[in-house]
Amino acid sequence: MAQGAATVAPGLSSFLKSLRTTPVDPSVEHFTSLLKRRQIRNSRPCAIATVALLLRVVSEFKGRDAAKLVERIRQVGRRLISAQPRELVVGNMVRRVLGLVREVVDENLDAETNAASEGSHNQHSHHDSLTRPNLTSSISTFSPLKHAAAEPTDSNLSQSENMSESGELWRRPPLLTSHTSYAPASNAPLVHSLFGLFSQPETPSNSSTPTGHQSPDGKGMLTSLNLERLADLSRSKTTIDLRAEVMDGIRELQDELEQSDDLIAANALDHIHSNEIILTHTASTSVQKFLLAAARKRKFTVVHAETYPHDHTATHGILLTGKKRETQGDDEDDVWKPLTAAGIQVYAIPDSHVFAIMSRVNKVILATHTVLANGGLVAAAGAHMIAKAAKDHQTPVVVVSGVYKLSPVYPFDIEELIEYGDAGSVVPYEDGDFVEKVDVENPLYDYVPADLVDLYITNLGGHAPSYLYRIVADHYRSEDITL
Amino acid sequence: MDLETPTAENPHGSPAPPAFDIVSTYRTILESDPDLTMPVAAIEALVEAIAHSTVSTVAETLDLLERHTAVLKKSIPNPISLSAGTDLFQRYLVTTLNRPASLNLGPDDDFRAIRNHLLSNGRLFVERAKASREKIASFGKHFIRDGATVLTNGGSRVVGALLRRAAESSHMRFRVIYVLSPSTSTDSREGHQIVADLRSHNVPVATIPDSAVAYSLGKVDMVIVGAEGVVENGGIISRMGTYQMGLLAKSKGKPFYVVAESHKFVRLYPLSQFDLPIEQKVLDFTVSVVDKGVSSEPNDEGIADMNAEEVRKCSGNTAQDSVDFTPPDLISGIITESGVLTPSAVSEELIKIWF
Repeated sequence: MAQGAATVAPGLSSFLKSLRTTPVDPSVEHFTSLLKRRQIRNSRPCAIATVALLLRVVSEFKGRDAAKLVERIRQVGRRLISAQPRELVVGNMVRRVLGLVREVVDENLDAETNAASEGSHNQHSHHDSLTRPNLTSSISTFSPLKHAAAEPTDSNLSQSENMSESGELWRRPPLLTSHTSYAPASNAPLVHSLFGLFSQPETPSNSSTPTGHQSPDGKGMLTSLNLERLADLSRSKTTIDLRAEVMDGIRELQDELEQSDDLIAANALDHIHSNEIILTHTASTSVQKFLLAAARKRKFTVVHAETYPHDHTATHGILLTGKKRETQGDDEDDVWKPLTAAGIQVYAIPDSHVFAIMSRVNKVILATHTVLANGGLVAAAGAHMIAKAAKDHQTPVVVVSGVYKLSPVYPFDIEELIEYGDAGSVVPYEDGDFVEKVDVENPLYDYVPADLVDLYITNLGGHAPSYLYRIVADHYRSEDITL
Repeated sequence: MDLETPTAENPHGSPAPPAFDIVSTYRTILESDPDLTMPVAAIEALVEAIAHSTVSTVAETLDLLERHTAVLKKSIPNPISLSAGTDLFQRYLVTTLNRPASLNLGPDDDFRAIRNHLLSNGRLFVERAKASREKIASFGKHFIRDGATVLTNGGSRVVGALLRRAAESSHMRFRVIYVLSPSTSTDSREGHQIVADLRSHNVPVATIPDSAVAYSLGKVDMVIVGAEGVVENGGIISRMGTYQMGLLAKSKGKPFYVVAESHKFVRLYPLSQFDLPIEQKVLDFTVSVVDKGVSSEPNDEGIADMNAEEVRKCSGNTAQDSVDFTPPDLISGIITESGVLTPSAVSEELIKIWF
């Protein structure tokens, strides 16, 4: 949007290029300013840039202390998120990388101290957090937004302790089950969260537990445990090449970002049948690849709503050349061709025609900006209207999204998620008369509630919206949800 | 079964159960602490029962629990909520005691350790249960936005805690519409208490009767209700009137949130209102019995009367504290202490402990 008239507009590719030569801190600075100026926007560029930056952060990290590495990543992550809180995908990537670090540490601890009496601790807690659906601790993810001030006051349930203690690597959010694994008397994992009520008391020596006058979340106890665990950690870290393993993990994450569209497209033939009429909107590479994959085998018709005023140039670009106009210059290796070249009949319609044409549409395929933990999604403005119209005509709505767009954030306040763009693209500023008298708004995104969506197709396959909480639980560690 | 098992094979256990009155223990526990929920009180009572017995094996313990649970369930009109607690406790014991990987301890020691743990930490469970309510409150208060109007009903303590917590965070202004039935049941008394409490916290509260729910809904931004039990399909069992609130909220497109601690999850799969495993005297069909002499069907009436008598005797729910079932499709989210779950997540949680 803010792309200047300069010949080399700053953006993703220039950032990635400069990342190779610039040291980390200026790069973070650079990225934040790009985010703030919306010179890197939309989920995929943000994800790619974040992951590339974090790769640099990890590779430049000196020292072998996992807790410090986590704190470092977190600190960078917080800066990025506060630069542009509505690009939730930045937070997602930071959390994924944090999860990687924790996983590497857990695995190594497991392998090393398996025989030792304390070996089981981390394994269990690892289990714990994987099996528990944690949709919500995401409350403070919004902190850069309007109720930032409220967040730290959550403390009496020890959420803020999380931040302050050096041993936070091992601190879990204060879920009741979190300390099941401390029971020396029972070494096997108690992974069931409903059993939280009965979990063993948090003191290491179980048999002599006094009659429970201590509060279950007593801070003192936890700190001593943290120390113990950190000691554990420092003993073991001699053998871990933490940095290398985390970097491997991050590269895998990069691969995932690269491949997710192709993996999604592999599902296309299951969902698009011959002679169907498919409605889609806005310019999305995921959807485009999805449709192209189907177009190789089948003939169908695409109706494309152009998403005026904020995205219509990109949409027109994708219809003409198969590629968003704004992202010219990179990925020359990709063979882009428009749907029309594949023999698909494409109709471009203005958004206002969606309802009228919906009765003839067989399937709606939506692209998305972010998918939220409750199954709702934030997509380019107009998506809600399309989904509503589809509901009204009982047309199935399929949302195509990479898992990287799936955020553990719970939409407490929908208004906060919606970004407003340049009103000048609705009514040009030259039209002074008009702009003076009438308020012009240009919301960029829509929130589509979960019950309007029939199916999500991610790089993992197809899921019902009500199942998304499960994928969230699988991909994000509960302790990272609050950054 | 109650009589057979102890005499046949349980010489230690046989004197204990008669001496120990599970029902009165349960009631004492429940009365001693107004903040306690039924499932937790039931767990407490069962822990007491184990403490008073001399069981030394796993099978004996489970048997003892089963008998006590049966007695306890029979003693109260609506054991759904209670059975959530007893089931959870039973499953906990089964999984802990039968765990294959009880590594460095013999099975005997393991049992003793578990027993000791249970006995010495009874209070801790209660503390945890209360802590989970506070946790829910701290999660849930984020659902209440500045300027919102919340509709709620009954005397749910979790909802009360949540609203209080939201009220205490100073910058939040919200209003509450409280559905209170005019009856004098304990539930509505607790409701009145919460209302008074909220008003003292400077939260504007309007109280309305059940019949005014639809009327008020236009002013409402969200509905928050408590639950007696959360069933396997993600629906809830809650005080009478919750179902209609859910239906109305759905028809008006208002979000309908349930707050419940996860120890209220219960393994039932009701499909409709009348599948609940309890007797409820809500639909009581009668005809006016002015002219008794001429009655064309004296037999029928006699039977009906007898039935009614019987129902009263086996303590069916009275109309005041009856419950209904709100199906999962009306529920936007279930706020528990381990997060906000979609209704479909409930069955997964339950499956995890049962299988």
